[in-house]
Amino acid sequence: MKSNRRIFLKFLLLGGFLFGFQTNLYAQQIRVITTTPELADITKQIGKELVDVESLTRGVEFMHAVPVKPSFVPKLNRADILVEMGMDLEISWLPALLEVANNSKILPGQLGNIDCSVGISVLEVPRTVDRSEGDVHPKGNPHYNLDPLSGKIIVRNIADGLSRNYPQHKAVFEKNLNAYLGELDKAIARWQGIAAPLKGVKIVTYHVEWSYFANRFGLQQIGMIELKPGIEPTPNHLVALAQKIQQEKVQLIIYGAQSDRYPRQLAGQTGANVVRLQSIAGGSPETDTYIKFIDYNLRSLLAAVKKG
Amino acid sequence: MVSIFTKIYLCGILAVALLAPALSYAQDSVIDALKRQMSEMQATMRKMAERIEQLEKEKVTSSVKIEQVEKSVKAVQSAPSALNPAIGMAIDATAEHRAKAGGDFNFRTAEIGISASIDPYARGYAFFTGSKEGVEVEEAAMVTTALPWNLQARAGRFFADFGRMAKFHPHEYAFVNTPLALERMVGGESKADGVEINYLFPTPFFLRATFGGYNKIGAENDRLDDTKSRSWSRFTYLGRLNTYFDLTDNHSIELGSSLAYTPSVRLSDTLGGSRSLSGVDLTYRYQPLGSALYQGFTWGSELFVNSERKPLAIEVPSIDDPSILETSIVGKRRRSVGGYSYGELKLNRNWSTGFLFDYAPSIDSPAKKTLGYSPYLTWNLSEFNRLRFQYSYFDDKIRAEKNERGNQFFLQWTTVLGSHTHGFRTR
Repeated sequence: MKSNRRIFLKFLLLGGFLFGFQTNLYAQQIRVITTTPELADITKQIGKELVDVESLTRGVEFMHAVPVKPSFVPKLNRADILVEMGMDLEISWLPALLEVANNSKILPGQLGNIDCSVGISVLEVPRTVDRSEGDVHPKGNPHYNLDPLSGKIIVRNIADGLSRNYPQHKAVFEKNLNAYLGELDKAIARWQGIAAPLKGVKIVTYHVEWSYFANRFGLQQIGMIELKPGIEPTPNHLVALAQKIQQEKVQLIIYGAQSDRYPRQLAGQTGANVVRLQSIAGGSPETDTYIKFIDYNLRSLLAAVKKG
Repeated sequence: MVSIFTKIYLCGILAVALLAPALSYAQDSVIDALKRQMSEMQATMRKMAERIEQLEKEKVTSSVKIEQVEKSVKAVQSAPSALNPAIGMAIDATAEHRAKAGGDFNFRTAEIGISASIDPYARGYAFFTGSKEGVEVEEAAMVTTALPWNLQARAGRFFADFGRMAKFHPHEYAFVNTPLALERMVGGESKADGVEINYLFPTPFFLRATFGGYNKIGAENDRLDDTKSRSWSRFTYLGRLNTYFDLTDNHSIELGSSLAYTPSVRLSDTLGGSRSLSGVDLTYRYQPLGSALYQGFTWGSELFVNSERKPLAIEVPSIDDPSILETSIVGKRRRSVGGYSYGELKLNRNWSTGFLFDYAPSIDSPAKKTLGYSPYLTWNLSEFNRLRFQYSYFDDKIRAEKNERGNQFFLQWTTVLGSHTHGFRTR
């Protein structure tokens, strides 16, 4: 009996030690929640083993229609840092979750909230903020993650945000930042080299997601399938767009998380090629890091141009 | 004898004389080539200069644009209205035909909503509703944003955290009308003046508890007069537990259980007793992550159980003359069970369809019930503009209201102007 009690006590001590160790391990890591997988990847590159990072979205969602899942609430509640794209990209779902997450330190404007859009050269700031122009973003087009040079600003914003919150780790973050920027710079140089055939290629996009990408790699945007941002096309709009595609000799029709119905219909009428790209990272193993994500989009486009 | 030197000299003269034109020609062609290259280089340089000039101009234009944007942002930020709350409006109107009551153009609501942070510790919001019945403050509440221990407090007038659909403003329903069971048992929206505390459990899954105390719960609840001071036993107290689970990435279940308890509801000077209204709500959602814009299904159901003393007219022998029967009012505890269930299927980005089943008892005579069957079709022209057609058939055994009987047709038009959101509760 006595030996049984001893064994039980030993197990209890071991369990306590393991639990304590595990708690201590978690306590040391900075809990970061990001809204998209590329922000999670970049945060991981900067924070390395100091951070425990999770993205709320998986990368397959259309960022303007992410379901408001209560399962996100406990994650936001326990987060030390929230990294978001900002510029109202997450406006349809994130504010509703923050409302009940009871975590004031990650609310917009607070120290624990890292807005990656700070310092971005914003495209398409609307002249008039009016819903007759569709679901407009008053602060401009928020899909800046698709421009790798903006990606460098995202990286810097995350590193700065982490350093502001944890100045004791600033040297580590800076070191990791420089290493990652070096890697990103190499990738950018490579992308600029291989993207030459895209220069001047005329495209039509489903939604206004691809402006930053097109701007960086010299693609020419001729039109949009949506009537206005967030508004599905009318039959008249599709007829006019098909004519425009033919007149302007548009090569590619690009869509993301939308249905392929209208892109395929237009392609059938005009002979343009349809290509599906990812507007956020993480949708597949080929896009599970920021660099792989830009790489995937670029290679998909090059393949489509070569085909057509 | 001509010396060897003379011969070499003559040969040299001869060679120069013969080669000079060729050399001169070669020199000319080199010069020409150089000239050509020079002019090409000049042209290239001219083009480059032009391009630089153009880029400088573009740079100036873009910096002017950036300056303009910065100026307008600064102007907006420094404007006296910069700290004004977000404001929006919802307009909801229907054209209706009820077989037993006739037609109606029903201006249901024009709802103005405002919201803003109050300070680092709280935010506030209010909804003012204008309808055929007049203008009223539907909600005006303060909510804490920085309480410790996962707590959140709310006070003022707001929709108490009872059940699921009772916290929706009617223009946000998936169907046209408030389910009859909700209307009869809760009193429509769970409008309440009081205070509420929420606690978010530190669990890996979503688990939230609410405790509240209110004058009364229910916009149409006329059991209590909430304009007078009274004993604390005549207030309503609420407890709710709400949880949620992701079954997979695309499927989820949400479950809630609520109890609203009023220790004493005084029906008249002599009659009274406690009232308890309990509810269970279950919502299943299919939201495919990759195509949530185009596909989805929601099944939502709520069951209510109401238990309270209600007046009952009985005939008793007269004290003066036992052979004569007199009508006397006594209080009798009544227990009624009701609920609703609906399913809504998203057909594509703009269209959805659904069916609402209603099971609503009479609170006074629980044996009598109204059963409602309502198929509906919704066309979302955009996120802010919606048309809906609904047919309803009510099998009504209570026969108290013409509006709640027979065949009914509704065409509803709902729009949202500006910033208008009811947040997490109406997800």
